Formats: sequence, structure tokens, C-alpha cells
Amino acid sequence: MFEKVLLRSLDVPESQDLSAYEAAGGFKSLASVLANHSPDELIELVKASGLRGRGGAGFPTGLKWSFVPKDTEKPVYLCCNADEAEPGTFKDRALMENDPHMVIEGILIAAYAIGAATSYFYIRGEYGVSTERVEAALAQAYAKGLLGQNILGSEFSHDIYVHRGAGAYICGEETALLESIEGRRAQPKLKPPFPAVAGIYGCPTVINNVETLSCLPHIVERGTDWFRSIGPESSPGPKLFCVSGQVKKPGLYELPMGISMRELLEDHAGGPLSDNFKAVIPGGVSAPMIPGSDIDVGMDFDSLAGAGSMLGSAGVIALDDTACVVRVAARIMEFFNHESCGKCTPCREGNDWAAKVLRRLEAGSGQREDLDQLAFLCAGIFGNSFCALGDAAAWSLGAALKHFRYEFEQHIDDGECPFH
Amino acid sequence: MVHVTIDGIELDVSEGTLILEAAQSQNIAVPTFCYQKRLAPLASCRMCLVSVENMPKLQPACATPVTDGMVVHTASEQVALTRQSMLELLLANHPLDCPVCDKGGECELQDMVFEYGAGASRFRDQKRVFRSRDLSLNQVIIFNANRCIQCQRCVRICEDVVGAVALGTIDKGMDSEVTGFENSLDDCDHCGNCIEVCPVGALMSQPYRYKARPWDLVETETTCPFCGTGCQLTIGARDGELARVRSKYETGINGETLCVKGRFGIDYIDSEQRIETPLVRRNGALEPASWNDAFDAMRGHIGDQSDIDGRRIGGLASAQLSNETLYLFQKMLRTVFHTNNIDSSNRWTGGIYDELPGLIGGLYSRQSLEEVISADVVLVVGSNVTDDNPVTDYLLRSKIRQQKNHLFLASVRPSRLDADASACVRLLPGDEAVLISTITNRIFDSRAGTHQSGVESLAEFSRQCAEAVKAATTVTVLVGMDFLRTPNAKLALPWLDGLIRRLQGSGKAAALQFLFDRCNQLGAWEMGVLPNHLPGWQKNGERLFEQAWDVQLSSDPGADIHEMLRRCAAGAMDCLYILGSDPMSAYPDRIQVENALSSADLLIVQASHHSATTKLADIVLPGAAFGEEAGTVMNNEGRIQSIRAFRPPIADTRRNIDILTQITEIFGGNFCGYSLGNLKPEHVFSEITQLVPSFAELSPANVAEEGALSRRAGYRDIPQSSALPLPSSVERTGQSNGKLTLVTGDCGFHSGYASEHSATLSGIRAEAYVEVRQSDCQAMGFAQGDLVKIRSPHGETTLSIRTNKQFPPGLAFVPENFASQHLNRLFKQGEFSCLVEILPNEL
Repeated sequence: MFEKVLLRSLDVPESQDLSAYEAAGGFKSLASVLANHSPDELIELVKASGLRGRGGAGFPTGLKWSFVPKDTEKPVYLCCNADEAEPGTFKDRALMENDPHMVIEGILIAAYAIGAATSYFYIRGEYGVSTERVEAALAQAYAKGLLGQNILGSEFSHDIYVHRGAGAYICGEETALLESIEGRRAQPKLKPPFPAVAGIYGCPTVINNVETLSCLPHIVERGTDWFRSIGPESSPGPKLFCVSGQVKKPGLYELPMGISMRELLEDHAGGPLSDNFKAVIPGGVSAPMIPGSDIDVGMDFDSLAGAGSMLGSAGVIALDDTACVVRVAARIMEFFNHESCGKCTPCREGNDWAAKVLRRLEAGSGQREDLDQLAFLCAGIFGNSFCALGDAAAWSLGAALKHFRYEFEQHIDDGECPFH
Repeated sequence: MVHVTIDGIELDVSEGTLILEAAQSQNIAVPTFCYQKRLAPLASCRMCLVSVENMPKLQPACATPVTDGMVVHTASEQVALTRQSMLELLLANHPLDCPVCDKGGECELQDMVFEYGAGASRFRDQKRVFRSRDLSLNQVIIFNANRCIQCQRCVRICEDVVGAVALGTIDKGMDSEVTGFENSLDDCDHCGNCIEVCPVGALMSQPYRYKARPWDLVETETTCPFCGTGCQLTIGARDGELARVRSKYETGINGETLCVKGRFGIDYIDSEQRIETPLVRRNGALEPASWNDAFDAMRGHIGDQSDIDGRRIGGLASAQLSNETLYLFQKMLRTVFHTNNIDSSNRWTGGIYDELPGLIGGLYSRQSLEEVISADVVLVVGSNVTDDNPVTDYLLRSKIRQQKNHLFLASVRPSRLDADASACVRLLPGDEAVLISTITNRIFDSRAGTHQSGVESLAEFSRQCAEAVKAATTVTVLVGMDFLRTPNAKLALPWLDGLIRRLQGSGKAAALQFLFDRCNQLGAWEMGVLPNHLPGWQKNGERLFEQAWDVQLSSDPGADIHEMLRRCAAGAMDCLYILGSDPMSAYPDRIQVENALSSADLLIVQASHHSATTKLADIVLPGAAFGEEAGTVMNNEGRIQSIRAFRPPIADTRRNIDILTQITEIFGGNFCGYSLGNLKPEHVFSEITQLVPSFAELSPANVAEEGALSRRAGYRDIPQSSALPLPSSVERTGQSNGKLTLVTGDCGFHSGYASEHSATLSGIRAEAYVEVRQSDCQAMGFAQGDLVKIRSPHGETTLSIRTNKQFPPGLAFVPENFASQHLNRLFKQGEFSCLVEILPNEL
């Protein structure tokens, strides 16, 4: 049985309390870092661990930190991206609700590494319990001298501010998130300059995901060799998988990165509700679906990229053979259309158009030429949108069309949904 | 320099050049919607996506700087298909109501689809409709959201250039809609720059609505008649009728921007107050007359040239007329009426003209504003730039935000530019002298520690400004009209002169420009419309002019407007000739001016519009209005630009140069052999170039295209007095005894007394008001909108009160743009500010 690290306190009562966290050895890593490591050593340590960002893109965390200019006169900011809004994803929520101090310790370690005196904890607006528990944990941490001036008697001082989102998916995109913190309209910004150089208020800013930050105390405590011993060489470490959809045991699983999708879904999640998996969306709805026949694939960044999809937020959505792919595609496109910020032409106009066509197709009133329209839209949006939201919409629709074209055609030919 | 290949063309461009700019430099067209040269790149429309070798995705040309060795393809099949796709996407929900859209025929979306679009659309669903009727956002802006393509040019120009932040976007995705708070722009500047930059027919001009199709318009390029910024504007006329004013992309000092006055105020020329025939006073009443009757009446009063006593005659001209008209006016007065009694403004407090030749003739920086405001430190003294010279305000804001150079702002009233200034300070009118002297001493003098000003804020501002100037290599001082209006101007100007010279002497590049609120004040002075200097700042009686004009010139020092009025009142003037000016409304002391004008034996007023001054005239000569005669004007940069006619003078009005030429002829003079009928403005311009050094070697052709900077040429330096008296700050007496300091000037919607005749501008703001600090208003027991009585020792007037949180304590401002307010009753001669009480209206 794989030892749970990130979810170790899932079943511990009152685990959100500082005393419970400390009882489990919490904040020892922070103390050790402050006493024994220079910021540069810490960055090297995290680089050596091979930790890659858990928010979706899988960018090496230590490398991201190293982009912060060393000689800047401006304040450096850290931002904890807790705007977990990718459909099918609920891992950061579990961390914030059950172990908020682990996230806080991770924030402090990261902040020390990059020289940030201030962090923003950007929590998804709908996450009420998470917000309450994070705020309570911050109060406890301040009271204990784990936050504020001269933390644990060191030279290091740090403040964390909670900023709640207002319900827009786009705020998970890091530059839109920064705009939102500044009180502006949440829309992605041009890169470069990258946030590491000019982020919040034009100052160097690092944005890390909740799960990424939660890995840090463990890397410090157990060492890089331990971390690298888990999962594949190119993306090591423990990983949270959010399994939902048509499986017998949906839920949150902590398993080694790179575990096969079949093992995750059949051994851990209990297999499909019906006889077979029709398709699996491996990383939230932004990730293209993989046909049920292709689930012998590693659940890590590189293996899934090789399979034409992505690990993304590891929101694994399983569809068994009773699912209607057209309906799923339509629902996903409705989501992207609703969440498009409206900045760029292809995403704003294309998602709306695609949603209209998919509604028709799902209702059975589509025509063969509608499939050409969808193909045109996928080509027009993918690669041309301003940020990844439009790309994701087109990419996921493209996969449904590619693998399940016959289901779309069936809807057109039958004039109704064959599954309902 | 970096080396880049675009469509097979190799070129070297400077680092940071965008792919789009590099392509444009080679005449390679890359289509754009959201790109606008003056705005930060947004890269949202995706029309400009181009292919770059070794980059997986297409890149936005408008936001991607070229890198060394980059190979760009703008015409590949993928790029062409992508453009086609973006247009098909944009058109999917676009209403395609081109036949009833004002933009049809000059719509960027139409043009793009024509150039790059597919022949047919695949879209067959319901289009999105925000609303079926257009939304009126304010009196000049009407909005059709269905047509909007979300390029955000309007929002960005409003925020980044105008600084108003009146427009924003609500909702998201396909529901994104550009609008103002609560779907209204009633409180915005009404500048209409959002309309100008709109690529489609989403934001439209209400005055132009359904008036014409673009292809029916005859367009005339000209220069704005209002302030001295000298914006280029394009008048569109249909069948000779003014239809609209627009500004062309990257044309003139203003680029594509205009203020509300320039864009919507030109309809003042079609006011019912236009004078259509000559008027002659008979039996005490002004009656319509023929031109011959009017000239006969003039001759009847004045007699022959031999009867004329130059000391008993004088002229006042408006600084909004052309160089040609002003030149002829002073030439007529000097050669035919043998007088140097000439002035061009009602508002300067006198005594400043001796300081001007060195300052304007010698030091004044005749270079582009763009250049002078790029200085490390820009000091603006005595101007509410936002209201007085709105487009200068836009340029300053854009420059300061982009370049992060320092702006120091010393003004009586707060303005929107305060937000972008490194420091700002509120002056009382007259403090300019102490401010300039304190800054000068802090920079250059060991006595710097002791500043003269007892006012702490002035001292601190001077300290900060002086520190910044010391650290700078380039410094610019921009001087506003408040500076020239206070009686202290004559003390302040020598200090200003000294500051610029000493900065230049210390190796810094120091620039000086004035921020005139009249379009041709600089030109009026250059043309010799002032008592003590001939054109080109030559001394009265100068031989060169006697030879050129073939007359003996008076070497009399000449009288300025104050002296002329005094002489009128004393019965020492036979004739006062007023050209385009309205001293009855503008001169600070209405009672005095009324006495004076009524006492003159003969008051001739040549003007395009009726005014309080024309009512007192004995002879009224109706001149052409703006847009009805050609000529040149000189803006605040010293740039000579063309004004052009888009229609002939209306009714029985005549070109001003024709009127002046005919009077010259009647009294035995002539204009170099040209006479009425064959005189062209170019002939006058040609004579000016021969006699005025700053115009030397210019030809109308030089001026025609982009205007031509006048030259700083061979002026005699006025020796600088070494020990200037130390001025002191204005006494802050008002606040202690419950009185407020009243100042006046332009409000944001009007310019001088011309714009009041604009139906559009008067529709936006028809009445004067008194503006005070919010807490002052509360302390006096008034609420916003209350009618109050303003009383000075000299007069009173009734106004509604407005509050402003940014106003300094004890200040009251009433705009001077409303002639019927008779605001000048409150001032006495020589006053710019005066102490007033604000009382309940019932008292």
C-alpha cells in the first residue's frame, strides 16, 4: 500500500487544527529551512527533487522560482493558486479543508526561496469551507509566530492575504488571476513579461498551485531522493487523482505519479459502472478524452502528452459505455463558452458557435454539415486563442469528434440521441 | 539592431520593433483590429497572426517583438486561412446591417472582409442580439452593441489616453459589452475619441447620425479653431453643409484624438448668432446695410487719410484669426491709420509685452510637443491642461505613462493630470512668480535654503521640483494662461526667462512653450498684433518695414488694450476697430469696458457672430467664419499649419482679408498691387515670409502637408537683469474672513466665447456654474445644485453650485465661457482672481 503523504490526515479528526498538524510533525520543515538553507540552496533542492507544478502545466517548480530576478528592487510576491475550477477536480479543496497548515507551510517555504514578504492566497469563490479553514489556520499561525514578523525567530517575515475569487474559471489562468487580485477585469495578459518578472503590481511574482506547495514540506523533510523514488524519472512524486464519473468508487486518490490509468480506474476506483469504459478524460475537461481501449497509459505529464492528452489537474472523468459522447461534448462546450472571458475572437465567438451546433446535434436536429462546422471551429480556435482556455475547448471537442465521430453521425441520422 | 526576414525581404530594425511595425515599414499589409499605435498592445482580435519559423503557433504581429534571425511569413496559406477564420467568426454574430449603419463605407470590418474574408459563411444559427434599438449613452455618443467586435480600442483610449476611465466592459464572453456606468456616459468628457477609434458602427456620433454616407462627404483637412494645441481635423461636408468632424489616424500633433470642442464644437459656425449682413447704426439702432453703405459710413466718420490722427485710433483683434488676417489688420492700422495702438487679447493684465521679445522671439522652443514633453522633467505652471488644452493633456498623459519621466504640476485648479504627476501643488493666481524664483534659487543659488514663499506646500513642491531638475539633463517648462493673466505676470516672466537661460547655461537642454488657449496667440504676436513691435518682433518704425510697405511708420510706443480703453473713456479716441474680439464679455471689468466702448466716437466691429460688443458698435462688418476662408495659424509648438475653407462665406459675409483689403484701399492704401477680388491668402503669406524671420523661406506648400515649424531666427537677445526682485507669495487673506478666491478660465466643454454658439456643446453644457471644494460647500450650508449668489466688491451674479473633492480650500471657479453670465462684472481691471462671498440666492 502506497504511503499517503499529502492526504495523510484525511481521516484524522480536527486535522485542520494547528495542534494536529504540529503533532504530525508540521512546521519542522519550515524551521529546518530557516535554520539550515539559504534561499538559493532551497531552490536547488526543489530543482533536484524534480517537482513539477500540479496546477496543470507541469512546469518544473524550482526552475520557475529561479526566474525571479535576484537583484530586483521591487517587492517579490508569491501567489497560491487555489482557484480550483477545472471541472472534475477537487484535490486542492481536500488539502485546504483537511490540512490548511500544510499549504501554509508550503507557502512559507516557497516564499523564503524567492524572497517574498507577501503572499496572496487566491481561493475559488465557491470554496466556503476551504476559505474558513484557511483563514482560521492563518489566524492560528499568526498567533503562534509562524506568520508575520521574524518567523520562528528568524530574519524571515511574511504575510499571507486571502483573496477570494468571484466565480470565474478564467481566474485560474495565472495572469488573469493576477489581474483579479489587482481589482481589474480578470482577463489573461500578454506574456512576456512573465509574472516572474512583472506580475502583481508589476512586481516579480511566482504563482504555485496548492498541491505543488503542499509537496514542499515533505520534500524538505524526507529529501529529494525520497521524492524522486516515487513515479517516473521525468515527473516524480506523489500525486492526487480526482476520480469521478461512471466508476464504482469515485473519489480522491493519492498514488505515485505515473500509475497506469487502468490500475487507477479498475483497481483503485473499482472499474466502470457498466461493462466497459467508453472513454476517459484524464485531466479535467480541458484534457482531450482517451478511448476506453487506450487506458493502459501512465498518469503522468509526459505519458499522457504522448497519448494525445494531458495530465492537467488530474481530474479523471470516466465514461462507461452508456454515456453519450455528444452530450458530454456539448456539456463541456457549454462550460467553456460560459467561462470564455471574451477577450479574443476565436474563443469568444468560436465557443459560442460550437455550443450552438452541439446543442442542435444533441437534440437530434443536426445535419452532416454541422460536423464540418465543428471541424472548422476546432481548427479556427486551436492554436489561435489568446490563452489556453480556447485551446482546451477546441482540443477536447476535437478529441470527441476524432474518436467518436460515429456517435455524432448517429445523432444526425437517427434524429435523436441513441442513449436516452 | 536585429536582422529579420519578412516574406523573403531581409531588413535590420531596432530592438523591440514589433513584427507588425517591421512589416509595415516594408509596405507589407498585416490586418489588425485591436492594434492602435498609441495604445498598449492587446493582441486579442487575432487578425494579425503570422507564422514565425521555429515557433509552433502563429504569433500576433502586433505584440511580438522581432528577434535576431527571425523569419516571418505573413502570406502563407495557414495565415490566410486563419484571417479568413477570424473574420468568419466575427461576422457570425455581426448583424450585417451595413445598409443602415453610419459606418458603412468606411468600416474596417467591411474592408477586412472584402480583402481577406471568405465568400460565404457557414453560420446558420440565431445571432446574438443585445438590444434591438441603439442605446444613447449621452448627447453625442450612441451605441449599437450588436455590431461591437470587442477590440477594446474605445475602452483603452478612454483610460490610457484621455484618462477618463468612463468606458469599461461588463459581463464576459459573448455577453461582453462596452458601456459606461449604468449604461450612461452623461458624466464623461464627451470627447468622442471612442467613436473615432471604433472600427465598426458600434459607437457612433449622435450629431452625425444618419446625416450622410461617407462617400457623399467632401472632406477638408484643416486646423482646429479653438485652443493653441493646433489639432488637425477633417471636416466632412455634404452639399456644403457641415456634417461632421473627425480626426485621421496618426495625422497631426493629435494623431487620432480630438477633444469635445474640436470634434463637436465646429457647428458654432452655423449658429443663429451669425451676422449675415453689414449693420450700420442709424438713429441709435443697428440696421442691416449694404457693404457700400457700411464703407460709406466708415468714411463719413473717419474722413480721408489726411484727417486721421493715429494716436486717436486703435485696433483689437482676436487671436483666433489667421496669420494672414492678423497681418493685414496690423498692416492696415499701421500703414493706413498710422497707429501702433494694437492688441490681441483682452485678458493679459498688461506690462508683459516688454518681456516677450526675448522670451517668445528668442527662447521659445519651436519644436514638436512630443519632443519637449519627452524631457526628464516637465514642469507645467499655471494651467489646467485638462480643460484648457485637452489634447495636450492626452499627449502628456501618454508620454508620462510610457516613458515614466517626471511631471510637476503647479496650477490653481486641480486637473486629471494630477494623478500622473510626480508632484503637484495648488497655487493662487500670482504665485507663479514666487514659485519660479524659488525653484530657480533652489537649483542655482547657495541661498537656496531660504525660500521666499511662506506657503509650505509651495516650498515643498519647489524643493522636489528643483531636485528633479538638478538630476535631469532635459527640462521643459510649459506655461499656462493663468500665468499671463495675473498682475504678477510681469514679475514672473523675467524669472522664467532667467530660469530657462540658466538651465541652458548649465548644460541642460531646457525647453519653454506656452499653453495658449487660443489657436493663434503665438501667430498674433509674430504678426505684430501688439503695440510695441512690428511683425517678427521688430521695433516700431523699423526701416525694413518702411521700405517694404512704402510708408513712414509711427515710432510711437503704441497703446495696449488697457490704455486704449482708458483713452476711449477719456474721450481721447476717435475710433476703435475690433476684429473678432468680444471685450464686453472678456475684459475683466465690464463696467469699465462698457463705458469705454460707448465713449468711442466710432466703434467698428468686424466679426462673424453677434456679441455684447457688436451690440455697442456703430458699424458691424460680417466676416467669414471658420471653415469659410483659408489661411495659416501658428500653434503652441510654433508650427504653422493650414486652415482651409470647406464652403464660401455665407450670406452677405466676406472673407476677413477681403474686408481689410477693401478698407485699406478706401483709405488710399494698397496691398502690394493686389486688390479685392484677386488677393489670395498665399499672397499675404508670401509677404510675411519676406518680413518675418521665423517664417523665412517657408512656402504655402511647406505648410500645406504637415505644417512647418517656424524658426527661431536672429532675434536680439534682451539682456537679462542680474538682480531680479524676489517676489513673494500671494496673501492668503480670503479664507480667514470667510471669503473665497474666485478664478475663471475654460471649462472642459467650452473654449473662449466661440464655442457657446455651438448647439452641440451648449447642449452638453449650457450654463455656467460655480465650483468649490466639497467641504467648503457643506460649511457654507449649500448642497450641489443649489442656486447661489456670488458677490464681489464690484458686482454679483447668480449661479448653481457644484462641488469637487479635489478643489483646494477657499477656491471658487466659474467658467468664463458663458457671455450672458456677465462674469466680468465681478472683476475690476487688472484683477485675475478676486475675493467673493457666496450667499444664498434669496438674499
